[in-house]
Amino acid sequence: MKLIPCPINGLRPVGEFVYGGEVRPMPDPNAVDDDTWASYVFNRTGAPGVKQEWWCHSPSNTWFIVERNTLTDEIMQSYLYDEMRTI
Amino acid sequence: MNTPLRLSPIHDLLQSLPGNWQAINGMPVLTVSPPTTSPLILTDRSCLTRFGVKGANAADWLASQGLTIPDRPNSWCPLPNPSAGIIARLGLSEFLIEDSLSSRLAPQLAMACQTPPAKVYPVLRQDLAIALSGPATHELLQQTCNLNFRALILADRPILLTSLIGVVVTLLPGEHNGHPFYRLWCDGTFGNYLWQTLVAIATEFGGTITNVEL
Amino acid sequence: MPLRLLKFAFSREYPETRMFRQPDRLQSSYDAVIIGGGGHGLAAAYYLARDYGMTHVAVLEKGYLGGGNTGRNTTIIRSNYLTPEGVKFYNESMRLWQDLSQDFDLNLFYSNRGHFTLAHTDAAVRTMRWRAEVNKHYGIASELVDPETIQKACPLMDLTCAGHAPVLGALYHAPGSIARHDAVAWGYGRGADRRGVEIHQQTEVLGITVRSGKVTGVETNRGSISTSRVLCAVAGFTPRILRLVGLRSPLYIHPLQAMVSEPMKPWLDPIIVSGSLHVYVSQTARGELVMGASLDPYELHATRSTLEFAEGLAAHMLDLFPCLSHVKVVRQWAGIADMTPDFAPIMGKTPISGFYLDAGWGTWGFKATPVSGKTMAYTIAHDRPHPLIESFALSRFANYELVGEKGAASVGH
Repeated sequence: MKLIPCPINGLRPVGEFVYGGEVRPMPDPNAVDDDTWASYVFNRTGAPGVKQEWWCHSPSNTWFIVERNTLTDEIMQSYLYDEMRTI
Repeated sequence: MNTPLRLSPIHDLLQSLPGNWQAINGMPVLTVSPPTTSPLILTDRSCLTRFGVKGANAADWLASQGLTIPDRPNSWCPLPNPSAGIIARLGLSEFLIEDSLSSRLAPQLAMACQTPPAKVYPVLRQDLAIALSGPATHELLQQTCNLNFRALILADRPILLTSLIGVVVTLLPGEHNGHPFYRLWCDGTFGNYLWQTLVAIATEFGGTITNVEL
Repeated sequence: MPLRLLKFAFSREYPETRMFRQPDRLQSSYDAVIIGGGGHGLAAAYYLARDYGMTHVAVLEKGYLGGGNTGRNTTIIRSNYLTPEGVKFYNESMRLWQDLSQDFDLNLFYSNRGHFTLAHTDAAVRTMRWRAEVNKHYGIASELVDPETIQKACPLMDLTCAGHAPVLGALYHAPGSIARHDAVAWGYGRGADRRGVEIHQQTEVLGITVRSGKVTGVETNRGSISTSRVLCAVAGFTPRILRLVGLRSPLYIHPLQAMVSEPMKPWLDPIIVSGSLHVYVSQTARGELVMGASLDPYELHATRSTLEFAEGLAAHMLDLFPCLSHVKVVRQWAGIADMTPDFAPIMGKTPISGFYLDAGWGTWGFKATPVSGKTMAYTIAHDRPHPLIESFALSRFANYELVGEKGAASVGH
């Protein structure tokens, strides 16, 4: 069973979590052209790698960030959004 | 009995059980004398009054109401005497206050929170609240939940937010007469499913079902 | 029994030739290079050679032929989609499927079963009615049927689903079929090979050379190739290939799992799909139940299997078929699905001249193998998208012209 470390609730089985997708900073909609905006809306970093992702521990509704290798499914670390780091 | 103000989420499922009905906190409650020895006892405690609040300023607001709040996420502490109720911190900034049969703190907090300050949000708690107790409690939990409850340190007063047979629940582990005693809360709309499934498993252990202990 | 099978009994050596050659080295240049030796890539090679006489073509496969999603799907073939674009496209595929066995001189075990998509809610009934009307408008056999009809076609089904989600009706699609997926790859591979196309297995693409917006060559682990046309047909690996040419896409990659039961006597003739219960199931000629469910819940580029999947799918199967409670699961596996936001594929030309894309096949690619091969071959040969795939272009996202096909996905992913 896959275990995910929640910064608040500790190590829990993956079934208690909801995946929220990769962290994607939003460009300023008033400052960018249509193509950049459409790219933000639709395009994804589809190739594998270490990514920062949103996850939610659903019984406690805790949203937090997980750094995970999407090729090997290894989790590097997890933390609350307030402690956001750069990778 | 007049039209009750509140109903337990599993009111209908309790109809076939023997016992006496009486109103407690506006809810019809089936009272059954608790058995002295049973491997597993399921008790419906939904009739207790409770109050939920969350938000970035919820902790400060509760403190301003004169309450001592748990200082760590996912822990609990008793309400001030003479009450035997509890205040639980669910995650970082949400709280659950549940009275005992004899206290009335939760309705007072609900009144005080009718016009809450900024970043304080009252949470409607129409839970199914049950207690699991008896020597076979851990066996039941093993079949229904992924967590290892035996590894918990009860002196830390932990609160667990997890899922039991797929239902999101809040668990408060404790001990009573040398046996595990777990309080459990879940959204009332899942009540029938959760109760029926737990009863089915408890029956395999030769467990019994009671209502609130008086 | 056909007489020619007798030679297998009496011959000391295996009496058939190999399905296709194994060329020992790459040539320095080809008219076109197809990345991906799955059903889609091989079908494109086949139609390029057969219909357009382009035979100086190499198919590059990183692993082995048909070892990706072609050999990992649940083999369901249907055309009861929701959008006019989708319905026309998949219906052409159904038409091609009918005489593929003749075309290949190879038994594909194409088996017409009928396809029921169960509706457990009023909202689902409404979507089924909508789909039925769109389908009928384009001449596709598709109708809403009542629970009695379903029970008659499938007597062992519990239509109350243990009381959790009673079946209110179903979309019935008579042409719904299954086929042997490996044979599809072999048939297209052999057909292309016989016409001169080279299939190179164990050949990984490491780079694609682009000069002034035009494809000029492909770098592989077995050497460089110069070519002016490249088709990318690599399903879950598409984002990695797109990264080589600097293109971005809306594709996101999740595993899709499936499993089969031990073989049983034939008892399930139709294909049964339930969006609410996240189940699709059919019984193979061998008697195994092939079962699938929804996508894995998070991005992963690996084909690992999980217990959560087997547990969840088994639970839902038992809601529908309580009689299976003692049946064993014998195999479980996963494919890597390249999902699009609108559940329609991404096909055709790209901003890079000579670089063609056949991707976004998520969980719906097997049934489209013939038509995608045919339309991509047309697109490569004419350097112009085939009319059936014009609305599936990569540029539809930037133009906000999506093809909303999610309502016709077999299960609510």
